[in-house]
Amino acid sequence: MASSIVELKVNGDTVEVAAPDHFTLLEVLRYRLGLTGSKQGCDKGDCGACTVLVDGEPVLACLTLARLAVGHEVTTIEGLMPAHLRAGGTGADPVQEAFDRCGALQCGFCQPGMMLSARALLDREPNPSRAAIKGALSGNLCRCTGYTQIIEAVETAIAASTERAPDGGSR
Amino acid sequence: MGARDQHGVDAPWVDPARSSTNGADGFAVVGRRNRKIDGLSKATGAAVYADDIALPGMLHAKFVRSTKAHARIVSIDTSAALALPGVHAVITGKDLPINYGVIPWTPDEHALALEKVRFIGDEVAAVAAIDEETANRAIKLVKVEYEDLPAFLDPEEALANPTPQIHATPKKPERGNVSKHVLLEFGDVDGAFEGAAAVVAGEYSFHGTTHAAIEPHCAVAQCSPDGNLTLWSSTQITHYVHRALAHVLELPPARIRVIQPCIGGAFGGKSDPFGFEFCAAKLAQITGRPVKMLLTREEVFYLHRGRHPMQLAYRTAADADGKLRGVDAKILIDGGAYSSFGLVTTYYSGQLLGGPVHLPTYRFDSTRVFTNKPPCGPKRGHGSVQPRFAFEIQLDELAHELDLDPIELRRRNFQGEHVETVNGQRITSNGFLACLDEVERASGWKERRGKLPHGRGLGVAGSMYISGTNYPIYPNDMPQAGIQLKVDRSGLVTAFTGGNDIGQGSSSVVRDLVAEELGMDPADVRVVASDTDLCPVDLGAYSSRVTFMVGNATIDAARALRRRIVDAIAAEWEIDARRIFMGGGTVFDLEDRDRLVTTREAFQIAEARLDTLGSTGSYNTPTLGGDYRGGTIGASPAYSFTAHAVEVSVDEETGRLTVENCWIAHDCGRALNPMLVAGQMEGSAYMGLAEALFEVHDVNRFGLHSGPSLLDYRMATTVDTPELHALIVESLDPEGPYGAKEAGEGPLHPALPALSNAVFDAVGVRLRHLPFTPGNVLRELRAARATSQRERASC
Amino acid sequence: MQGFDLATPTTVDEAVALLAREGSLAIAGGTDLLPNIKHELFEPRTVVALGGIEELRGIELESDGTLSIGATTTLAHVAAHDEVRCRATALAQAASLVAGPQLRTMGTLGGNVLLDTRCQWYNQSYFWRQSLGFCLKKDGSVCHVIESGSKCVAAASNDTAAPLLTLDAELEFASNTGRRRLPIAELYKSDGVANLRKEPGELLVRVRIPALETGRERLGAYGKLRERGSIDFPLLGVAVRLDVVDDRIVHAALGAIALQARPLALQKAAAALIDAPASGPGFDDAVLACAAAAARQLHPVANVPGDAQWRKEMAPVYVRETVRAARAGTGPVHGR
Repeated sequence: MASSIVELKVNGDTVEVAAPDHFTLLEVLRYRLGLTGSKQGCDKGDCGACTVLVDGEPVLACLTLARLAVGHEVTTIEGLMPAHLRAGGTGADPVQEAFDRCGALQCGFCQPGMMLSARALLDREPNPSRAAIKGALSGNLCRCTGYTQIIEAVETAIAASTERAPDGGSR
Repeated sequence: MGARDQHGVDAPWVDPARSSTNGADGFAVVGRRNRKIDGLSKATGAAVYADDIALPGMLHAKFVRSTKAHARIVSIDTSAALALPGVHAVITGKDLPINYGVIPWTPDEHALALEKVRFIGDEVAAVAAIDEETANRAIKLVKVEYEDLPAFLDPEEALANPTPQIHATPKKPERGNVSKHVLLEFGDVDGAFEGAAAVVAGEYSFHGTTHAAIEPHCAVAQCSPDGNLTLWSSTQITHYVHRALAHVLELPPARIRVIQPCIGGAFGGKSDPFGFEFCAAKLAQITGRPVKMLLTREEVFYLHRGRHPMQLAYRTAADADGKLRGVDAKILIDGGAYSSFGLVTTYYSGQLLGGPVHLPTYRFDSTRVFTNKPPCGPKRGHGSVQPRFAFEIQLDELAHELDLDPIELRRRNFQGEHVETVNGQRITSNGFLACLDEVERASGWKERRGKLPHGRGLGVAGSMYISGTNYPIYPNDMPQAGIQLKVDRSGLVTAFTGGNDIGQGSSSVVRDLVAEELGMDPADVRVVASDTDLCPVDLGAYSSRVTFMVGNATIDAARALRRRIVDAIAAEWEIDARRIFMGGGTVFDLEDRDRLVTTREAFQIAEARLDTLGSTGSYNTPTLGGDYRGGTIGASPAYSFTAHAVEVSVDEETGRLTVENCWIAHDCGRALNPMLVAGQMEGSAYMGLAEALFEVHDVNRFGLHSGPSLLDYRMATTVDTPELHALIVESLDPEGPYGAKEAGEGPLHPALPALSNAVFDAVGVRLRHLPFTPGNVLRELRAARATSQRERASC
Repeated sequence: MQGFDLATPTTVDEAVALLAREGSLAIAGGTDLLPNIKHELFEPRTVVALGGIEELRGIELESDGTLSIGATTTLAHVAAHDEVRCRATALAQAASLVAGPQLRTMGTLGGNVLLDTRCQWYNQSYFWRQSLGFCLKKDGSVCHVIESGSKCVAAASNDTAAPLLTLDAELEFASNTGRRRLPIAELYKSDGVANLRKEPGELLVRVRIPALETGRERLGAYGKLRERGSIDFPLLGVAVRLDVVDDRIVHAALGAIALQARPLALQKAAAALIDAPASGPGFDDAVLACAAAAARQLHPVANVPGDAQWRKEMAPVYVRETVRAARAGTGPVHGR
């Protein structure tokens, strides 16, 4: 089976990696690039743990062929904090910060995917309703929290962003 | 060892002038919503889980699994697999012939099947290859010849047919397929039923469910050239894995190091030693290469160890005023193919019902049988969620029959604090009444129950649960939990704990307790956990024991260290040690507050005056439990108590139940971190409601798992989960760390019966058989309607 | 996952040339193809990626009012598009309920229209199916849904097929021998092994929804039965179209999926609505007659993982509620 050098844009960097054609983006991120923040929970698109952003949209890395991500911007959980720092922020991305502050991270395994779904939602819609939050996260299974502190965390991130917005400090 | 010293429920430092930054309760760290020690590392993707580990030259291993539900292995031919380029080793049962089991009395498992397979998915051989794809190709090349045996998929059938035995017991063939039988009677149950004003009797059923932690199980093994073995595994019981590896691999335990990295959820599903751990280790020994064994999601369903299906027949007798007279239970437990924790499960199915309502007399007769299905084991609320489901519905039925409010019925039967249960368990603190008050208030119970429009209802249920037990799985007199503190001149304290942080936050609790005791900034406390080379033993994260036991051990160690530091500073300042106060990262003289050093300076003074600084601490339970066989199983140093109120909408046309609200009142003793406690309460209630409404772990008519995927095993998503309201009740326990008790399992129990009771309030129909999927509910509603029509017609 | 070569054509001509080769399969969103390859249900030698082909993308309103949707348009895009929501309400609603958010971001309309049929005995791993002894649809000779059944009854599980049936959608296919257009009603057949009247080398280019005759108001809604509120495939899907003139239903169509191999047009149920008043007691009576007729036609079997008896009983409920939702301009019907 064919292999090739895949040139991916991941978290702002252009990286070259050799991978067989059938390798998924998740396999390349985790096992070729060492970006193990994206998790594998089912490998069949049922759990959402491998959610990454491709051009800002949440997609499942386990069902994305790595070569088909060529030419697109891939953002993994490892990319959020550096992007926030580059944009002049301090500390982690407000979504990460809020998840930590609200206790939303129990085992933490589903949360990289969850936080990226939340990040994509807030980039698209800065002040979503509770129902919209639940809808946007309904493809990410969490087994620990009962979702309550996750939804609180997203609402906390929204509040943090809107509070900072007037002085120009929004993310 | 000071293990049983009572540390008390109060804050460790008392500042008479109240000028420190400590809260009104005297605590500086405890009781606040402190962030978790590993929160940001998990949030940023930096946290390392087992499958995130990659070692140079690492091989990948895969299992050959049984395609037969019950069969004798005639032969295994591994030659073609071994011949495949890239394959480094293939092992079968003969390579790991020593049997084991997490419970030493029932060692009926092998790392790979020997002679027989007992369910579809049983592990038969393991292949290590250069990558997963090669290993996957190789397992298809292993030829296994089987001779079919009759398979039992139904527990009643397995009970009725002593042969063939799923596990042979040559000395006692009459055991047939019974895994464990327990019959215990406390008081004169039959006498209590005679003359009772009310007796309710019913049959209930609880289906199989599984943990489905989002992280699939994974282990990485590495052998050093001098023969030392290191295993990283997604386990919640590092210590038992350590022991089991030594036993099965016939290695001295001192040559084995077991490390639990970050773990992606467990819930009891990672609390047995497993074949993948033994096989990864064995393959690493054979090949001289590191070996990773990552299970697929499908394989996790075969590993299972989830909730036992139970058929439960209950009778409860009461006086006219609602006071209980006795409970009589007969339970058939479907164990699946192996024992796992099943001996304990069988006891737990009866032993954990002794509160929060008082049972004057009680009998249970529980039988666990083997079937040719994935083995059951401990899932959150081990063994007691099922009987609690039946019993709390019984209480609702009794209240209905006696025309009593179900909350009032429970209040009248409240057992009280500092009492002994009918089965000899010592109850200490007990906040159940406050839990009832909380859910009554928060749910608007008095105004709303029985008065909501038809189709909408409120239900209540209660429960109790252990904070660990004094049954240490293998008999020994050593502490259940140990801890070691190391002090650095930088001002850092490192705590070494065997406690498994499985996401519940036990390492964060250790950090906070150390900081509280030493008056430090929690950021200056590091925790090294669950590494058998580095950490003193803790038995593991099961039975809701970690906060209680590791917490007590932490206070024990921190107090020992604190005494030394205080003494050193007192000597340095030539004052009485009672004048020393540690708080806010400083140490000062209470009578001359300008005499002050930082904690770091204090550590240096103490080190200079004394020695290299450190301390140890431990915890062991007092002697507990009834004086009879099994009397220690379920005997806990402290019990948590819970009440739930559930509000449900019933769509009588579609059968769909929509839980609108779930109020969870839980007595966790002191809430060491209310944010973490609430997270446990919400997660528990979610899990209970989700298994009631959506989840089914079962096999089809061929014995094949009916849907081993996260698509077909339907776990509730955000949009399927109700609003969960955590109401923390703090009845300070005299023996818990600062009065704390468990919070991680108790709050699951009442969710299911409270839901059933709410449905009764909504539509007047009793749901006694789980799961409450809409199709099942619709049939129950129809059947109830048909019965009531027949009854009307016959009047 | 078993290996394959990936081809990334940029034109339809290149793509159909690649697809004409034995062992080629097309990938767009990959949300169904890749799980099926992982399960060894599909064993392609070459996977032909469609994402780089401009002609397959986008939603356009043609000059005659035809709504033309490129095959690789994502379901999320279809669900959110104003013209689709207005002119093909039921399609937008159906697309909004496919699987979960990420899968709608990835999955495409074309992929959904051509989705492989699904069955609890089929959508499983190789090991699982091997333990079963395989089945009629793949590698075996026995049906486990209908014992001694000789015809595969794996279910059409594509939500969007139901509304497209009611909307008389036309499909444009390309192959290395040229192009053809096919009414969607002619695409599907009652064979669960392969329910498409489509050659392996044919590529779906666009889906066209004809414009409505002037003077008509077109109403539509979609109803989806599933146990969870997200992620799950349908246990039953019902699409309704009502064309209304002067408060009278002049044309009605109903489509149903997740019952058998073929998405069903419910003609008798639709007939109960045609010429009925679009409001008042006359409408209410017609809706009930429609639901009753649908119930007679809908016979779920235990193909997809769900309670077949419940699915059967829910059929008239979902038909009734979806017709009402179409009339009321609400919907989708979901979570009842």
